[in-house]
Amino acid sequence: MDEEPERTKRWEGGYERTWEVLKEDESGSLKATVEEILFQSKRKRVTESHGQVRLGMMRHLHVVIDCSRTMDDHDLKPNRLTASLKLLETFVEDYFDQNPISQLGLITTKNKRAEKLTDLAGNPKKHIVALKKAVDTVCIGEPSLYNSLHLAIQTLKHMPGHTSREILVILSSLTTCDPANICELIKTLKSLKVRVSVIGLSAEVRVCTVLTRETGGSYHVILDESHFKELLMLHVKPPPASSSSECSLIRMGFPQHTVAYLSDQDAKPSFSMAHLDSSGGAGLSLGGYFCPQCHAKYTELPVECKVCGLTLVSAPHLARSFHHLFPLQAFTESPAEGLHVDRFCQACQGELKDKSIFTCPICGGVFCSECDLFIHDSLHCCPCCIHNPSNP
Amino acid sequence: MKLNIEGLLVYFPYDYIYPEQYSYMLELKRTLDARGHGVLEMPSGTGKTISLLSLIVAYQKASPLEVTKLIYCSRTVPEIEKVVEELRKLMEYYSKQTGESNNFMALALSSRKNLCIHPELLHANIVVYSYHYLLDPKIADLVSKELAKKSVVVFDEAHNIDNVCIDSMSVNITRRTLDRCQGNVDTLHNAIQKIKETDAEKLKMEYRRLVEGLKEANVARETDVYLANPVLPDEILKEAVPGTIRTAEHFVGFLKRFLEYLKSRLRVHHVVQESTPQFLKDIFDKVCIDRKPLRFCSERLQSLLRTLEIADIADFSAVTLISNFATLVSTYSQGFTIIIEPFEDRTPTIANPVLHFSCMDPSIAIKPVFQRFQSVIITSGTLSPLDIYPRILDFRPVTMASFTMTLARTCLCPLIVGRGNDQVALSSKFETREDFAVIRNYGNLLLEMSAIVPDGIVAFFTSYVYMENIVASWYEQGILENIQRNKLIFIETPDAAETSMALEKYQEACENGRGAILLSVARGKVSEGIDFVHHFGRAVIMFGVPYVYTQSRILKARLEYLRDQFQIRENDFLTFDAMRHAAQCVGRVIRGKTDYGIMIFADKRYARADKRGKLPRWIQEHINDGSLNLTVDETVQLSKHFLRQMAQPFRQEDQLGLSLLTLEQLESEEMLKKISQIAHQT
Repeated sequence: MDEEPERTKRWEGGYERTWEVLKEDESGSLKATVEEILFQSKRKRVTESHGQVRLGMMRHLHVVIDCSRTMDDHDLKPNRLTASLKLLETFVEDYFDQNPISQLGLITTKNKRAEKLTDLAGNPKKHIVALKKAVDTVCIGEPSLYNSLHLAIQTLKHMPGHTSREILVILSSLTTCDPANICELIKTLKSLKVRVSVIGLSAEVRVCTVLTRETGGSYHVILDESHFKELLMLHVKPPPASSSSECSLIRMGFPQHTVAYLSDQDAKPSFSMAHLDSSGGAGLSLGGYFCPQCHAKYTELPVECKVCGLTLVSAPHLARSFHHLFPLQAFTESPAEGLHVDRFCQACQGELKDKSIFTCPICGGVFCSECDLFIHDSLHCCPCCIHNPSNP
Repeated sequence: MKLNIEGLLVYFPYDYIYPEQYSYMLELKRTLDARGHGVLEMPSGTGKTISLLSLIVAYQKASPLEVTKLIYCSRTVPEIEKVVEELRKLMEYYSKQTGESNNFMALALSSRKNLCIHPELLHANIVVYSYHYLLDPKIADLVSKELAKKSVVVFDEAHNIDNVCIDSMSVNITRRTLDRCQGNVDTLHNAIQKIKETDAEKLKMEYRRLVEGLKEANVARETDVYLANPVLPDEILKEAVPGTIRTAEHFVGFLKRFLEYLKSRLRVHHVVQESTPQFLKDIFDKVCIDRKPLRFCSERLQSLLRTLEIADIADFSAVTLISNFATLVSTYSQGFTIIIEPFEDRTPTIANPVLHFSCMDPSIAIKPVFQRFQSVIITSGTLSPLDIYPRILDFRPVTMASFTMTLARTCLCPLIVGRGNDQVALSSKFETREDFAVIRNYGNLLLEMSAIVPDGIVAFFTSYVYMENIVASWYEQGILENIQRNKLIFIETPDAAETSMALEKYQEACENGRGAILLSVARGKVSEGIDFVHHFGRAVIMFGVPYVYTQSRILKARLEYLRDQFQIRENDFLTFDAMRHAAQCVGRVIRGKTDYGIMIFADKRYARADKRGKLPRWIQEHINDGSLNLTVDETVQLSKHFLRQMAQPFRQEDQLGLSLLTLEQLESEEMLKKISQIAHQT
């Protein structure tokens, strides 16, 4: 986006008490206590994810984006809608990065209606294009929580029982305009085992608290943009599967990528099955992935075969989903004073300034809290353990 | 958990305790030790009830001879039920811990259908009932007069206790009352005629008894068996009923004369205000009724009703009222005033004469309670400033303490809005009441808040009239329409059924995400008895300072009396009264430590030290210089920030050790030192 509107809107925008950020942490001051609580919960997230739990790794997630008039608010820059869509783009990328065999769909709600932006699909590109396009949406009217959830259920309820059914609502408005009693819908969601999580952009709304509590999802309200990002990242990790979800073997196909050259006599350009029903997109191509069962051609994986319904993935996809099952052990936290060797983080080589440090229980490497988070959130393996071949 | 409170073993039925509860129990114990009265202020939602119950029950168990009974007075039926619920928990805990079956008896009197308990009342260890059973002389005589002297009396939610006292002693007489009274007297007359024909002996018996006088009652009072009844003054116990009203017919004739006199007094065209001696002189001059028979009127009527064996006393409420009035007016030469108004202030064209016999001294009704019982505890969430209660109720407390709320996070956000965005001063004071700019800015404030506050907002106005004017004006300016885009609007009306309907719908709208605003009135039903927990009240806006209607003659007379008798300046009392109601209103949204809410005082006068200083300490300590005299914009920004902070996950672990303690934490030296600072003695 261009700089111009942002600058003009800044002075029109809300009254910001920027000096309050610099406030000293005196005992009992609001900021200090809340930040402490936040830090604790961040740590908790890292530690919580460990332990052998069944995870719902094949996820079906519908993201509902509020496009009501409150999204025009300038408390996120340049406005809530643009900021949210931008963050969602990275979210979509990360989501497919960490959950390659999952699917995602986008729904927008405004003016008391809900519309499908993209269908449930496993291809990040399509979603990102749709998100980029959505920046120009005119924010108008009120959202309808009921209609959006209802629309999401329509597709989610047909998903097989071994997959997780999730809805993530990005809600900016404090009200919802519903055609019927939402409590009934919450019961339906519960019976369908759909997990609904909400990220609120303004304040805690009761109906969301009930909705998330009943369906087993999480409810968070953002403090600022970076917090928003953090909250979105929480949803990248697959949630623990509910004990009642089905357990079954899944047939999967691992198609090989066949490369054909124009010089090859037998090569004939053909359409990808995935592009048949969509009007746009690439046309003819030579090579591709061929379904091992019915030989339908696809240009991208993962995908569900349109002809025989087989799930087609590549081996790296599965491998990337693996780390959720064998997570890196939590590092032990200890006060920085206890350390008398070199006071440098073994990952970023920065000086250890925080009041606590983190030690890998296997190799004994010492890390700062930032690197600890990074290692557990993104790397999923301890750099020192890998570096040192003597460790298994 | 088992607590050790200065050597007293207290069973507390929860695993965790708030620091202020411990502090509260300490103060309470000291009060009981000293056999004195106490005034204790602790914010609502911090477990006042259970602290009171566990300590006093423990005290009774430890020294059963010192404290024999707990009399717990609360205001409304739901509150009484809550007390009983807590009590039940406590008793279960006792029997679980000690292993012995419960030998405690508790009794709750909630409504008329449960009222037939006389013998048991004497044996129960704990009695829970409404204020009126103790304060209203008519009911107190039936229910409470035999309560033992060594009882502890607790008045919970007692911030309005002076008004309850005054109401219980005041009498309003309209034409309707007199008409119904006339009917009563006629019925009495007929009954007497009938009984004379069938059973004349009965009337003679009564006559003889009356000659003997009320010796029986006198003996009882001297031997200290009964609670003194303010309607039955000491002097008349020593005398016989005067001859003029001793026979039944004479008494009925007497009543008729008195009634005619009252009727003639109501035929006025201008307001009359007079003192009780003036009234007595006038009645003597006009219809030759002496002071003495008037004093016996109430007692004589009771005797007659008993003799005639009339079962349904409720039918005779009008004549009972009149005779009570007669006794009161001839007994007290001070503390009461008589005002006769030919019409209501609002409708000066419709004749509706009312005789207000108004009590101005709340200490009259409560005096017997203070005199009789060894410890009387007055407690509430909002009792500030504490020192005024002992003055207007005329007693000497041994403890006066105000407790703050220890919080792990600042869950209340009091903001004083003094200006609109256009810098117009916001105030509900009389001169600017009709000011267009003020009304518009008030509307703007509500509109902006409705856009950022989730679920429920409660707004309080100073009076119904003021609310009507403002809402009408908002409607014309289109503000109402804009607000309705964000939230539904509900309005409290004087009609109780309508209001409860509105409340129900309001709660539904808060529940299902529609969001709602309730416009209500300070001193109304909503401001006194309805709690807006969690999402039912995320913000409360107090438009203006809720001063009582100062033009009322009754109020003027009371202010004058307060000034002359108690040296309380008019202005001090008015401010005190306004601020306690404001505190009540805004206190509706915080009902516990996990709750949170914004409190907006929309009037620049709140920023002044004399107003601010009269708010309860637990609200006051969160008002800093940054939250005074804000504009609407600043308010919105601060509120937004606050709401985001409060929406962050808040678990019990975050509270532990700070505002919620286990037994070990409580017993640490450091914590005990901290706790000693919670109570603020005055």
